[in-house]
Amino acid sequence: MAQKEKIRKDIRDFITKSFLTGDENENLSDSDSFMKEGIIDSTGVLELVSFLEKQYGFAVKDDEMTPGNLDSIDNLVIFISGKLG
Amino acid sequence: MTVFQLLSKSVEMFPDRTAVTHDGRHTDFSQLYSAACHLSDRLGRLSLPEGSPVGLLYENSLEYVISFFAILRAGLVAVPLDTSLDLDSLRFVLSDCDARVLLVDSRFRRILPGIVAGNSPVERIFSDKKIGSGRDDLEVEAVINTEEESLPDMDSLPLGDTEDDEEKLAAIFYTSGSTGTPKGVMLSHRNLVSNTLATIEYLKLTRDDSVIVILPFYYIYGNSLLLTHVGCGGRLVIDNRFLYPEAILDTMESENVTGFSGVPSNFMILLGKSTFAKRELPALRYFTQAGGAMAPEIVRQLMDAFPEKEIYIMYGQTEAAPRVTWLPPEMLKEKLGSIGIAVPGVTVLVADDKGNELPTGKVGEIVVDGPNVMMGYWNHADEEREVLRNGRLFTGDLAKKDEDGYIYVVGRRKEIIKTGGNRVSVKEVEECILESNGILEVAVFGVDDPVLGEAIKAVIVNKKGCSADTVEITDFCRSRLAAHKVPKIIEFAQSLPKTKSGKLDKKKLKDQCR
Repeated sequence: MAQKEKIRKDIRDFITKSFLTGDENENLSDSDSFMKEGIIDSTGVLELVSFLEKQYGFAVKDDEMTPGNLDSIDNLVIFISGKLG
Repeated sequence: MTVFQLLSKSVEMFPDRTAVTHDGRHTDFSQLYSAACHLSDRLGRLSLPEGSPVGLLYENSLEYVISFFAILRAGLVAVPLDTSLDLDSLRFVLSDCDARVLLVDSRFRRILPGIVAGNSPVERIFSDKKIGSGRDDLEVEAVINTEEESLPDMDSLPLGDTEDDEEKLAAIFYTSGSTGTPKGVMLSHRNLVSNTLATIEYLKLTRDDSVIVILPFYYIYGNSLLLTHVGCGGRLVIDNRFLYPEAILDTMESENVTGFSGVPSNFMILLGKSTFAKRELPALRYFTQAGGAMAPEIVRQLMDAFPEKEIYIMYGQTEAAPRVTWLPPEMLKEKLGSIGIAVPGVTVLVADDKGNELPTGKVGEIVVDGPNVMMGYWNHADEEREVLRNGRLFTGDLAKKDEDGYIYVVGRRKEIIKTGGNRVSVKEVEECILESNGILEVAVFGVDDPVLGEAIKAVIVNKKGCSADTVEITDFCRSRLAAHKVPKIIEFAQSLPKTKSGKLDKKKLKDQCR
């Protein structure tokens, strides 16, 4: 559980630093869709993937770049936890 | 024919065929037509002067399509708004065109108060849901309702009852151009309809065609997808999830789309960052590519991945509604790097500053003459005089024609770097770097240099798993280009900024690099 919470914090910190202002961070819930909320564009997804690969040391395969894996903080926590085993 | 008649003619011929698919929902032509007429009647009751601009702020959706046609049927002018614009720019556009009415997606409820605050010209707002405007004196009316039971009876609606006046202003599309300040391109019904029919002709579109729409409708290329497919009785399959390419590819398969239209970055991302090249896509008949030059290397990769599909390379400008040239797919291998020949009904010259056609092989400016040439720029008479001369459009793009009449773009007039007394085409350097192994994208531009005047800078994105470095790129360029064309400064980035339509945002990149 501690690992998941650390991952959650890491992701939120990255999203906030890269794409949001302080106010927007307070309004972003863990289940909000980045796509629907207009937080990330196609360029931003590449930055996110690059961050995941550097931070956690795994490769994100092309067919893993899906909304189910990447489109919210909750989805990312599950995806990353699964990759780390 | 007016733009609305593209819809009314199709509904007469194909009332039950699906016009729009979005989020698993299918809407046929008669439903689309009914909803557009319903909204149009509501707009008509406002008694606005004919030709009044109406702002349209919607993500790609059924509601956008309904709204666009409703505005035109009511004799008003559609002003599609770039949904990625900041608040100040949105306010600027609405003030610039003096839009008294705004049709807005309920998704933009958070920014709507900012858009209409203060001295905004907007007096009436319509949306698909009841949302707040932030002003006590400005209520939002929820009028766009596509629930079947609320639609007017199809049989009671007169068909083709719009006034047939092709020369009137139909829409204003704002572009930012090189200065960054949006200016409105005025397009008449004739501009849009003639170009739509020409495009349907050379793409051989029929009612059996369906296109996956990833390009925004407020972008002239996206608008072309809208009008061509409504005009031929085909289907628009809207999917706004291009930031996850696998989702788009899944939709293409499940909906059996016959066409994919993209700008260069869309193809680069699909080829470099997705399972695109491994997919069969059996229903897909063709690709179209416009929105900037796509490097021959990328075209080759696309041809290798899908040897049996037709690939249409195209060129155009918002000011030309937009299509100017197309490259017939059967000529792609022989004329790789060319933007092709004039679209039906349009004349394209390579000309000198005075507009006189130049001989084969000589570099000059692309000049367009035809029913697609814009009416002018809204409120920008000076710039209009620069580009519209005797009804012909001077595009600002430099090119040459070969002996068969095929046109090759050399670069933008404004995208020449003057370095150490030499003039260097940005396009040439970018295409060279892309030929190097492992490069996903590159942007080249000039930066101030105390000795050279301008130095050439390249910002490069490596493909996943590749790690080209400065030395490698420099050596590669030296082996292909004259010494003065080799970039002096090379940097690497995780990604390059894009506009919402997917085009490289060089202005933003240059600002970031300062």
